[in-house]
Amino acid sequence: MTTLETRKSDHLHVTVLSDRCAGCQECVIRCPVSALSMDHANWTVLADDDACVGCRQCERTCPFAAINVEGAMVLTDRLDPPLAHPVTLRGDLSETRAGYSSWSEVLHEAGRCLECPDPTCVRGCPAHNDIPGFIAALARHDLGDAHEILSRTSVLPDVCSRVCNQSAQCEGACTWSLAGSAPVAIGRLERFVADQMLTPAPVVNPSGAARELRVAIVGAGPAAVGAAWDLVEAGASVRVFEKDETVGGLCSWGMPEFTLPTAVALRAWEQLEAAGVEIHSSHPVDAEEIEVLLRDHDAVIAAHGAGVPVRLPVPGMDLEGVVDATLFLKGAKHALEVADNATHFLTSLGLTATRHQRVLVLGAGNTAMDVARMARRLGLEATCVDWLDERFALARPDELAEARHEGVDVLFQRTVLKVEGPGRVKEATLAHTTQSGAGQTPKVIPGVSDTLSIDLVVMAMGYRSDASFSSVLPGLPVRRVDRAMAPRQWVASGVMANHASSYAHHSPVGSLALGREVGLNAAAMPVAPRLWVVGDALTGPSTVVEAMAQGRRAARAILDAQPSTPSRTGGANGPRPGRVLVCFESEGGTTAAVAQRIGTKLRESGAEVDVMSIEKVGAMDLAHADALVVGTWVEGLVLAKVHPAKAARLWLEGLPWLGGRPVGVFCTYGVNPRGALGEMRTILEAKGALVHLERAMNRRDLKDPSATFDSEFAQSMLQHILR
Amino acid sequence: MKSLGGNMTIEMNRSNPSEETKFHLVDPIAVAIRTRRPDEAGVAERFAPTDPSSALDVARHPRVARLLHNRKLQFMLILPNQIIFWLVIGIGLLGTVIPGLNFATAITWYLWFCLVFVLMVVVGRAWCAMCPFGGFGEWVQRHAFWNRTSSNIGLGLKMPASVAQYGFLSSVGAFLLLTWIEEYFNIAGPGNPAATSFMVLGIVGSALLFFLVFERRTFCRYVCPLTALIGSVGSMGSVAGFRTRDRDVCLSCQTKDCMRGDPDGYGCPWYTWPGSADSNATCGLCTECYKACPSDNIGLFVQKPLTSVVSPTRRRADVAWSVALLFGLVVYQQVNALTFFSHVDAWLNTHTHFPQYPNPIDYVAGIVGVALALAGVVWVFEKVFASVSPVPVSRPSFLTRTSSFRSYFLPLMYGIIPVVGADYFARQLPKFLLHLPRVLVSIGHLFGAGTISSSLYNSSLIASNRGIIAVQVAVIAMGTMAAMWTSWKIAGRELVPLNGSRRGVQWSATGLALVLGIVTAVLYVLMNAAN
Repeated sequence: MTTLETRKSDHLHVTVLSDRCAGCQECVIRCPVSALSMDHANWTVLADDDACVGCRQCERTCPFAAINVEGAMVLTDRLDPPLAHPVTLRGDLSETRAGYSSWSEVLHEAGRCLECPDPTCVRGCPAHNDIPGFIAALARHDLGDAHEILSRTSVLPDVCSRVCNQSAQCEGACTWSLAGSAPVAIGRLERFVADQMLTPAPVVNPSGAARELRVAIVGAGPAAVGAAWDLVEAGASVRVFEKDETVGGLCSWGMPEFTLPTAVALRAWEQLEAAGVEIHSSHPVDAEEIEVLLRDHDAVIAAHGAGVPVRLPVPGMDLEGVVDATLFLKGAKHALEVADNATHFLTSLGLTATRHQRVLVLGAGNTAMDVARMARRLGLEATCVDWLDERFALARPDELAEARHEGVDVLFQRTVLKVEGPGRVKEATLAHTTQSGAGQTPKVIPGVSDTLSIDLVVMAMGYRSDASFSSVLPGLPVRRVDRAMAPRQWVASGVMANHASSYAHHSPVGSLALGREVGLNAAAMPVAPRLWVVGDALTGPSTVVEAMAQGRRAARAILDAQPSTPSRTGGANGPRPGRVLVCFESEGGTTAAVAQRIGTKLRESGAEVDVMSIEKVGAMDLAHADALVVGTWVEGLVLAKVHPAKAARLWLEGLPWLGGRPVGVFCTYGVNPRGALGEMRTILEAKGALVHLERAMNRRDLKDPSATFDSEFAQSMLQHILR
Repeated sequence: MKSLGGNMTIEMNRSNPSEETKFHLVDPIAVAIRTRRPDEAGVAERFAPTDPSSALDVARHPRVARLLHNRKLQFMLILPNQIIFWLVIGIGLLGTVIPGLNFATAITWYLWFCLVFVLMVVVGRAWCAMCPFGGFGEWVQRHAFWNRTSSNIGLGLKMPASVAQYGFLSSVGAFLLLTWIEEYFNIAGPGNPAATSFMVLGIVGSALLFFLVFERRTFCRYVCPLTALIGSVGSMGSVAGFRTRDRDVCLSCQTKDCMRGDPDGYGCPWYTWPGSADSNATCGLCTECYKACPSDNIGLFVQKPLTSVVSPTRRRADVAWSVALLFGLVVYQQVNALTFFSHVDAWLNTHTHFPQYPNPIDYVAGIVGVALALAGVVWVFEKVFASVSPVPVSRPSFLTRTSSFRSYFLPLMYGIIPVVGADYFARQLPKFLLHLPRVLVSIGHLFGAGTISSSLYNSSLIASNRGIIAVQVAVIAMGTMAAMWTSWKIAGRELVPLNGSRRGVQWSATGLALVLGIVTAVLYVLMNAAN
């Protein structure tokens, strides 16, 4: 146990460069300890060294680099309970990671949280848990409030606190971590909340607005938990179809008991079942059956995961003794439950338990660690190889340390060149690699290689999506990479500012988090009418927390959209006005005026309308809209070619999949719009939109009160909105 | 342009609660943000003297707005100057060696400097918006002529605080150095046209170097030899620059795109925030903040002449010392035209074994001497008038330090800005008045038309020394009157409250401006229109 004594720094010194400080107060409003105030005479910032704790949030948020903090940070040591190491590893399934066991530990760790006014950890958390909020509740000894705060964004605090890689998420984005120090142990604090009090079950509102809604969910992993939870709470009837015999997905078969006890993994499903969720296990759903489900349900959520293992394309992978991680983990989990099963499982793999045999695990991510540690518990030797540099390792840092402590040999900067027999795997040739940065693909160093005697190869390099769904789920998986300029509030918070935290394996936590936003936003958009996709099925392999958050987001989008099967009329719960988003790119104001006029007419016709410039359109606005009207001015030479304005073109190309949404397009022109409308239609149709109306207007039309373009749009959009 | 990409983020912070409940989709991040309220104490009073009224916002006119939104605007301003200055470099090296006939020397020394001066007095940093030196560096740094790129070429360092804390003073140093080089090699005489080319190349090269090492317009803000002159004298200008339309919107803005940049515009290259700008001194008129503002809350304002001299609440020590040193330089340039000075310089050169005019010792001593003499006068002011001591600041830097001396020095130096500006202008007039027609001849010469024997070459706008002196004295008189007015206003607002003798200090401050005007006018008479 570490000391609780406070290290007070006497040498903290904040310098405000009064030449460049513009008094914008970006630092003042974000300083966690109110060490900054305004010098009203000069309109620059004043710093109080005695109040400063050295977190450097001001440095990261100052737009002009006009503030500088020198000196050691003032914070107590992070409290990490020692790892539990089984005396006899073989066959032991007890949890290796302990939570906090006393309030004094919790209060110590909670005391390290600065409760940042613009908390970067919240952006780092894929579910956007209100981390300072729940930690403040813990500091008040208020477990109930802590649970309540977490439940707003997460229904799996017990699971996430055990399996999340916090170092690349909340803890990596903690202001202390961004400043280069040990972050608040957010995961452990969350675990304490979950350990001390059972996560409250869903509270079903039988008279909720969604009581008529029938939703089918394909898959029973964490994404399905998130989706089912919110739907069932709102009163919807939810049916879950799972191909395996048991629910839980990867959480139940893929995660070892010593990381995630089965009772924890199944807790949410037991609560959901008790709340009325219908579970159909051993019921695989293929692409065709999704169409069938859509006929019988108001909405379908595809949460079937990404279960196709990635294979290493090197010689020898077709030999006997090469298996994938899924098979190994499922078998090992079952084998370790009863002692006799172990021998049987090993025999089935062509191994014996009597002599030392080595498993070569391809990969050193979290799945690979699970495989290797399971292998150790089965009495096997295990070697993990990964071509990444250890500085940029993908596994959680504590998981890596535990694996090594349990005797797993983890080799970074190695890649398998070939595996040789005869007949069964006997030897692997490993090449050395080099990697310069976290984003770089490692390079093989020619001429340097080792050989390793092995008895089994387990491929644990990850999974990919099942291509057989591509006919019904086009455009997937969504790549979780944010290519555009980072959103301004993210930049302002300072989360994008530091790429060098060793705690986060030198990974750019800000851009990782932004990449996750892509998936989260995509989850809110149906890929086809009444069909949503979430979790690994949407983004390819990701994490439990992302899947859960996406599931919840899709569920809320469904509750919002209130879809219904065509056989019923007027929406699942009676008529709801259609929602139309009218967005425009205007330069001189003409296009904006046309958009406003269309918007007014739509409103008069009974629709709910938002009219906004394209640059203001957010993911939520798109997700909310049943139909879209897009307008722009046109540019180019009339004699050569006329295009929609570049800004509008780029915006259209950047739109997410619009899955059958009705769209109307218009452009405003001076002389001749030529092919501009057609160009817009092409881009939109490539996004899966259905373009029902195209109109080109000039200034005369706008001034002409008898022009009918507005009513044409109103009529067409409302007629095509499917509900 | 803003692209949604797969990268839209939800930043919905719907203020209307009824609207919030309408949607199941709410932004969980917004819920956890608890930023403090910005300190708005006294903000209205502080900025009231310098905030132009909304009627003076030229960006309210749709055509102007459209122009300012156009990303190509600054490129189009820079391009002609870019062409001219590359021509200057080429023609200076390759063209005729006769300074009056060479386009490089003719345009640079007969026209350009006067033009820059007029621009600065009328507008402020108009030259900065079209400057080919900074423009070239910026094109390279952004690897774009006008597009908004999201990555920069170069190291992107920040000017170290040890230099940056002195604000414009590094620029004054660069100006003194450049002027000394120019005098030593007789570049502006004008002498050998190639020297002008090398000087321009040197400026372009050092600008480029700074643009590649440092971020934004660090060169323009701290290093450019002209930036202190334009920043101080240019504050007489009638363009206030880009300012906030509604300060509350700026203060509550959560993103400050005008400073950090967004897909529509770069963050301010000049380190200026429209939300707190109270002078035009550091607004480079580049339009980036206007383009970037997500709330359309920035306008381009005009103001009454001299507003940025008289009204700012914050007096900057770097500007005050810049004014004193720049006055020293221009007085040095007046004095060095007098015969007695050439004797002094020759005597010093003999005794210090320095080859030729100007001896660095008398150069620096003369300039610093004048600045210190001004400081001495202020010291006397303080001794005579001061009765209230300023509150010392807890951790002073060069810019924030307070003292009884400073509370007089800063306002008084701001007050004399117009006479210093007039002096610089008058100093350039002989070349302009005598030789401006040669610019046309030098252009003709490029096409084989102009000669030194042509009547145009030997004509002048004003040829007689008495005529030139009359114009110079008239310019000084105008500058002096302006300086008397600014000194009267500034002293009335800032010095009268500091002393017991009430109006005495105001009259004395005005008198100081008058005395400086008389001294410089007399020097012009003595110089007898020497260029």
